[in-house]
Amino acid sequence: MEEFSLTHGAHLLLWAFPLVLVVAVIVEDLHDRLKQGPRQ
Amino acid sequence: MTPVEGSTLTTVAVVMVGYLGVLLFIGWRAAKRTHGGEDFHLAGRSLGAWSAGISSTASSESGWVTLGAVGMTFTYGVSGLWYAPGCLLGYLVNVYLVAPRLRPLSADQGSVTLTDVITRRWGDPRNVLRVTATAIILVCMMGYVAAQMTAAGKAFSSSLGFEGRSGYILGVVIGAAVITLVTSLGGFRAVAWTDLFQGLLVAIALIVLPLYAVARLGGFGALVQGLGAIDPNFLSAGGGRLGPVLWGFVIGQLGIGLGYPGMPHVITRYMATRDDRQVQRLQVIAMFWGVAVFYGAGLVGLAGRVMLPDLADGEQALMAMALQLVHPVLAGLLLAAVISAILSTVSSQLLVAASAVSYDVVEKTLGYASDDRRSLVLGRWTVVVVGILGILVALSEVRLVFWFVLFAWSGLGAAFAPLILLALMQRGVNRHGALAAMLTGTGVTVAWKLGRDAATNPEIFARVWWITLLAAVTILVLGQLSRAFEAADRVAIVAAAALTVISWWLVQRWGLHNLYELVPAFFLAGFAALAVSAITPISVEETSQ
Repeated sequence: MEEFSLTHGAHLLLWAFPLVLVVAVIVEDLHDRLKQGPRQ
Repeated sequence: MTPVEGSTLTTVAVVMVGYLGVLLFIGWRAAKRTHGGEDFHLAGRSLGAWSAGISSTASSESGWVTLGAVGMTFTYGVSGLWYAPGCLLGYLVNVYLVAPRLRPLSADQGSVTLTDVITRRWGDPRNVLRVTATAIILVCMMGYVAAQMTAAGKAFSSSLGFEGRSGYILGVVIGAAVITLVTSLGGFRAVAWTDLFQGLLVAIALIVLPLYAVARLGGFGALVQGLGAIDPNFLSAGGGRLGPVLWGFVIGQLGIGLGYPGMPHVITRYMATRDDRQVQRLQVIAMFWGVAVFYGAGLVGLAGRVMLPDLADGEQALMAMALQLVHPVLAGLLLAAVISAILSTVSSQLLVAASAVSYDVVEKTLGYASDDRRSLVLGRWTVVVVGILGILVALSEVRLVFWFVLFAWSGLGAAFAPLILLALMQRGVNRHGALAAMLTGTGVTVAWKLGRDAATNPEIFARVWWITLLAAVTILVLGQLSRAFEAADRVAIVAAAALTVISWWLVQRWGLHNLYELVPAFFLAGFAALAVSAITPISVEETSQ
């Protein structure tokens, strides 16, 4: 059972990590843009 | 591997010539905008988000991403992909912690190189930090440049159809001569612009090829089924490794990312960025490039394993798939992408090595105070000399130089990454701590690597003690003769020697052979900086002299 959960957790880290990262980067960038307002 | 048709090779060669032509054109355009020393070494701090972002990422990856990373998943299956989150964590630290702080700091200081940032941050009245940092950079970079030129020569000769020793020589000379000429003419701006072109080529190749290959296999289901049929361990995230071997492997692969903040050829891109707004845009560009390239390379290796199971060398998977699966023109572009990954790193490292000699040694340490115009000419000729040296080493294949390459990434990473992070975020470090960090990072890297090798070759065991003691005594004597050292510098050297020897003992006693040397070296270097600074306090006035 332990091996099962380790394997699934590891797969999740390997494959979901980049997706989470991409979403976080986009959200952070949008946040920056909103905070700064429209560019002059 | 199926033989490649002559007409395919001809088409590929034509695409290659076009690719080299584009590099030369960019170099010429950049040269027309390069008028002085700061222009040559830092593009006049004028880079936009795209050139700074892609250039920083493309410079850091070298041929490793199109050859080595592909080979990892080809050889180990899914578990070979652990480098990807490790590298992306390094990117995160670089673009969100280092870049936004380093750009304004270096602009305020007027710093041109990484060594400049360190010496101006902590003060360096007797050039101890500058000489130490420059020596570490030169030793690591020269080996790196020569090794990349060797890889470029091999890639060129195989894609242009050159054969034998003379084909290899021709490949090295063509690739290295073009990139040396481009770097010498246009300096930092040419390097950044060619990196942008080459980095985009690499990203497109590593997005298109794996998707095409997976589609041709019949989708991701077929890929998974094919891998499982070859070896069920190919689908396991641990690859069949167990216990300490598994954890050492995973932590080591994740630890690759620790080196990024210490790479001079990478972080100088942030120093050259125009303003804070460009840094914010750079963050998104760099992260997207990283995700696409690392996972693309991993997928190429996995698909290659199923499509070309008889391929003897997994690192050749991308090139073999390009030549066998797609139209010759596309194959030419894919092979140009392989070479792009190599040459974008060569040009950046060539410039860092040349800046270390012409700016840090000749202008700053020896006090040859150039005006802006002379600084440009000096920089250009130094690039030519370093480039020719690199070509000669690559052709003669001097083993000692390639030995340094084994330590290049981890050595630079451990010597400078903790220091740069501390310089940007921590106030409790002084110049003696900085010296201790650089020496400890370098020393522990070498000791740990040799300690790991000692498991298979116990004869080395007896040597490391003497190498460490000899190095420490030599540095102390040189410092004494030149009257460069303060008393606290001696404390830093003794602390670095002690930590190096302790790390050797740790790797032996605790059986930590599976742990990548950068991980312990990074943390011990950070510890050395803080500990030595705590026992050798100096006043703020003294620091800012």
